[in-house]
Amino acid sequence: MSEINLELNSIVMRFGGNQAVDHVSFSVVKPQLIGMIGPNGAGKTTLTNVMSGMLKPTNGTIYLNGRRIDGHPPYDVVRAGLGRTFQITRALGRMTVMENMMVPGLAIRPRARQGDIEARAHEILDLLTIDHLTNELSRALSGGQRKLLELGRLLMLDPAVIILDEPFAGVHPRLQETIYSYIHRVHEDGKAIILISHNMGAVFELSQRLIVLNNGALIADGEPQAVKSDPAVIEAYLGEDE
Amino acid sequence: MALFQRIEARVDAGIGRRRLGYALLALIVVYFLWFPNDTTQSNYAKTVFISGFFYAIMSSSWALLAGIAGQFSFGHMAFMGIGAYVAGLAARDGFAFLTPESVSSVGAIFIGTIVAGLVGLVIGWLLLRLRSAYLALFTIAFSELFRIVMLTEYDYTGGSNGLSLRPLLQIADVDTARQVEYYLMFALLIVCLLALYWVANSPVGLFLRAMREDEDAASALGVNVVRYKILVFVFTSMIVGLAGGIFYSDIGSERIIPEQLEILQMSLIIAYAVIGGMESLIGAAAGAFIARYLLEATREVVITLPFGLTMADGADAFVWEPGAWRYALFGLVMVLTLRFMRNGLLYPIITWFSGRDIVMKETVAKRESDEDHAARLEVGDE
Repeated sequence: MSEINLELNSIVMRFGGNQAVDHVSFSVVKPQLIGMIGPNGAGKTTLTNVMSGMLKPTNGTIYLNGRRIDGHPPYDVVRAGLGRTFQITRALGRMTVMENMMVPGLAIRPRARQGDIEARAHEILDLLTIDHLTNELSRALSGGQRKLLELGRLLMLDPAVIILDEPFAGVHPRLQETIYSYIHRVHEDGKAIILISHNMGAVFELSQRLIVLNNGALIADGEPQAVKSDPAVIEAYLGEDE
Repeated sequence: MALFQRIEARVDAGIGRRRLGYALLALIVVYFLWFPNDTTQSNYAKTVFISGFFYAIMSSSWALLAGIAGQFSFGHMAFMGIGAYVAGLAARDGFAFLTPESVSSVGAIFIGTIVAGLVGLVIGWLLLRLRSAYLALFTIAFSELFRIVMLTEYDYTGGSNGLSLRPLLQIADVDTARQVEYYLMFALLIVCLLALYWVANSPVGLFLRAMREDEDAASALGVNVVRYKILVFVFTSMIVGLAGGIFYSDIGSERIIPEQLEILQMSLIIAYAVIGGMESLIGAAAGAFIARYLLEATREVVITLPFGLTMADGADAFVWEPGAWRYALFGLVMVLTLRFMRNGLLYPIITWFSGRDIVMKETVAKRESDEDHAARLEVGDE
């Protein structure tokens, strides 16, 4: 059970002179729900981009289910089993909600029957309470609905590890509840989830483990309660005492 | 409007829009098949139609590349030119280990098509990291480069005089020849449209549209964007390479000239597609055909005056030769299309026949804000 799914070894990401990610190492075992927090500019999104293949790390290695994935293009990383959402939603605007769901479905399982993929898409849309929008262009969706659609697309990929980048940001409280139950459900399905959020309440409530980044470096990794009282974390959030 | 709605209701209740659309399409095809047999039509009219079919292939394949896959390329005419020039050179000078005698005219066109596809592969690969304006600039440069080389290397290419390809057909009788050429080009158009539609409606078409919307997002959803970007360049390059090879093998024109590869010509292809509807393959094809036809038909505008009226010089008709003004008017139509009907002038018609607007009307009613959505969920909770 405690087989390691995702393993980051000393990841460094440099943009010119700016070190956005500074020797970050951690591993993820599924099913685990991990919160990743840190002040603005801590390197959370950059690290996500490195893990998902959108950026090639300057240094370090990443293994996913025993396979090395650092520097691989995103579509390869997804197929290996790591999926992510975007902080700012990236719905395929002039395509319908169903088409948005079919893209990952067909990309991952090109040989599957189209009908089966569609049925699965309906199931997921229903779970996310947006089944009635199936034929709507996704650009017509509200902000919260787009977040839900992104989560739906992720389920079509059925990845072992999921990174959710700010899933609650700008979402109506009632729709946030839908996202909550989604996270619980996906977790119960046995997937590992990395949850990035500024919503501390949600992170502390949902996470079994917390990872804290500051200035690109990992400054704490452990049980939420222990991390909360870690002096380094308090300092990162509140600034240095004079 | 009321009348239109009544007709609409009748159609919806009866035959259905889609079936009516297919029926109309079948009628149009039948008309085109019958056209060369109309003895009142001159060979010139057939030539206009042949060139219309050729440009319909150019525009519809560009619509797949730019409208569906989002690769706004200006290199389309150049790929066509590669197909034509390589076919001509292969037939005249031989190709690789093949002697000129061993290359048939069909073989030469085949070689031209393959080379166009190979160049498409290289260009597609070079374009992998380029998007929107950069992609357009790159392809303009590529296209101009190719044109200037064809112009400069006149020992091989004939320079501005152009290059004659080996004629595809040997038919002595002019009338019969025109008829066969007409059917050949029309068949090519149908085959190309079917191939384009097959791709557009397959999962590949879905991935291409995803790429157009957001390349990074598509990649994050598992779409191999590298493969599909190259694929769409190779596929469309081969289609226009083939069309160029056939058209200039004395089917529509006896020689390919570098002038055909100028940016103006490329812009016309884009304009036809834009006016017809760049995201619709049939729209772009129809746009090209209709525009070509109108541009020819308006070389001389003759309006016979009614009621025995005469012009000041005593003529009974008003005659206007617009010359280059046709292109100016055409440009105006394109500007207005872009401003007011971004999906093209034929889009409303195509949408109506496809029945897509019914689906849209249904779903627009279901749109809701986050608040409304939340309120609906609350009701469900109780």
